[in-house]
Amino acid sequence: MSQAQLATPVPRLAATWLTLVLLLVGVALLSVLLGAGDVGPTRALAALAGGGDPEARFVVGSLRLPRTLIGVAVGLALGVAGALLQAVTRNPLAEPGLLGVSAGSAFAVAVALLLGASATTLRVSAAQLGALAGCLCVLSVTRLRGVGSDPVRLVLAGAAFSGLLGSLTALLLLFDQRAADEIRFWVIGSLSGRRADDLLAVLPGLALAAAIVVSIARPLAALSLGERVASGLGHRPGRVRLLVIVAVALLVGAATAVAGPIAFVGLVVPFAARALAGPDIRRVLWLCMPLGPLMVISADILSRLLVAPSEMPLGVLTALCGAPVLVAVVRARRMPTL
Amino acid sequence: MSLFPVARDATAAKRAPASALPPPSGCWRLAWQWPGSGEASLLISRRSALANAGLLLALLVASGVYLALGSVHLAPRALVAALVGQGDALAQFMVIELRLPRLVAAWLTGAAFAVAGCLMQTLARNRLATPGIIGIDNGATAFAVASLVGLGVSLAPPAMALAGAATAAAITFGLTAGGGSRGYRFIVAGIGVGAVFGAITQLLLARVDMDTANAAYPWTVGTLNARPPGALLVLGVGLAVGVVMALQLSRALSLMRFSEAIAQGLGSRVARRRWQVLGVSVLLTGLAVAVAGPVGMVGLIGPEIARALSCRRGVPIIASMLAGALVMVLADLVGRVLLAPIELPVGIVTAVVGGPWLLWILLRPHRSLA
Repeated sequence: MSQAQLATPVPRLAATWLTLVLLLVGVALLSVLLGAGDVGPTRALAALAGGGDPEARFVVGSLRLPRTLIGVAVGLALGVAGALLQAVTRNPLAEPGLLGVSAGSAFAVAVALLLGASATTLRVSAAQLGALAGCLCVLSVTRLRGVGSDPVRLVLAGAAFSGLLGSLTALLLLFDQRAADEIRFWVIGSLSGRRADDLLAVLPGLALAAAIVVSIARPLAALSLGERVASGLGHRPGRVRLLVIVAVALLVGAATAVAGPIAFVGLVVPFAARALAGPDIRRVLWLCMPLGPLMVISADILSRLLVAPSEMPLGVLTALCGAPVLVAVVRARRMPTL
Repeated sequence: MSLFPVARDATAAKRAPASALPPPSGCWRLAWQWPGSGEASLLISRRSALANAGLLLALLVASGVYLALGSVHLAPRALVAALVGQGDALAQFMVIELRLPRLVAAWLTGAAFAVAGCLMQTLARNRLATPGIIGIDNGATAFAVASLVGLGVSLAPPAMALAGAATAAAITFGLTAGGGSRGYRFIVAGIGVGAVFGAITQLLLARVDMDTANAAYPWTVGTLNARPPGALLVLGVGLAVGVVMALQLSRALSLMRFSEAIAQGLGSRVARRRWQVLGVSVLLTGLAVAVAGPVGMVGLIGPEIARALSCRRGVPIIASMLAGALVMVLADLVGRVLLAPIELPVGIVTAVVGGPWLLWILLRPHRSLA
């Protein structure tokens, strides 16, 4: 075990966490102030303070603020889900997007839309069910001999699985023009045009997931020492694993329902968090909370500004910065084990 | 076809005429006298020859069905009449002008993808290392789309697709140069590179107006319905060159399946051969993507079928070519006919069929993948 992997002292960890949160607040503020429209930072700031002209108030209050908050929720959900999935599969490459959990969720939403569902809440539950099915597939695959112990092989299977589901989604869209129009931009992953209602629809799922995460953080940390140690400490590995999977499904389903399938956030964020906090899952989860939104909101700001006045899909940006991290992890001489 | 040219040297002629020896089991021997010098002989695996004949027959039958079925179904007699230039003018137009070019496109792209896949699999000694999986398809697609939506360059799509394929291959191989082109890390690095290029394609499509984006969209899923003019001809020439080169390399390729040290010991210039194999694979992939977009699954399914049917000793290049063309023709036929009047892009058909297959290969326990 190298020096870097030893536990970081708690005060330093707290300082890191605080810095990240401050950074997040700053970026969130930027996200409210900057935009593609002609409402500049000064007008937006005035609107945020309560004054300002009606146009600026509308843009800030009804467009940019909900969008930023949704970005926070999505980043939080994806970052934490990535960390949980990596801990439970003991695989540093287990990422909901790469392993096909997001694709399962997107496929379920496409089916729901095709069957005529249009209410946002229904879409969220469909996405969560799809994510749950995807997670169960991942978990059963990791129990297969020879695959679970090889992180890279799992990713390959995940890539194959998401490719298959993506094609099936595209196939479904061919049948129904209305669903196709509704889903085409959602399927790439974006935060544009989301309203406060969308956020409200996913809040119950996120709250439930948060409760589960709080209750299993300790057993999960014990589980990382091995199944026997965890049982010896009085935890039940099977139940912990199941609860983690449910939490991941709730988180990924919620994020996918509101923003579409966004890959690589769940890879990059826990990767950075582990580099800062060491291997303990509880500390990693603490750092994932500010890091996830930080990444998503920064990517969202860039997606608005880079090709203004049109918008770039958010998934494109996360893939552009996530894929190099994937390659870096794979290239490391000794694959880090969890 | 796995050909094993036996040494054409004088000593062999002195020992005994090759034609006098009994051929090894499962092989046919073709022997002939060179004027002046010694004798040459070819061993042809019986199994491979039969497999190739069977695949060719299946391809011809599938092509006939492909020409006959569509928005208007033709009886066999009417189809033959239309092909030889007789009978109903409408049927003639449909078969000769509409379906035949598309059939040829299916043949050529399927053959190119499958041969490229077969070469890359042999090079990496991994059945999963096809150009589609390690990101070369995506690189070619991104560049082709870039040329279509016009980024100040007006190079024809084939040239751009070729450049994209080469770029993606260079990045993937460059990133994993330290670890060698073996094993899964190489493939996952390729998946990462492919993801970046996929994102770039999306980015390009997001930047342009709706009509241009719709015109470029077929490249992102893979279809035979939007062939750029000229690209097919370039592919035909490239395929001819590529297959001849691959056949020339077939001896080096069958050595490449062993470890590098063994290949070197048996007299193969490993490093140079690897560059050549990679070059042919990239060439075929780039040109095929320029015609049909990324239909990478054919690069997995085609060689897979070829390997199951052919003799195990050689690298089945001809069989891969035929099997790839067959898969492409069948997939496009299904896509055209199954849900008519909706036309399924051929990339989606192959992905839906090939995805489960890929998963099965990956997750099947206790089997080596080499």
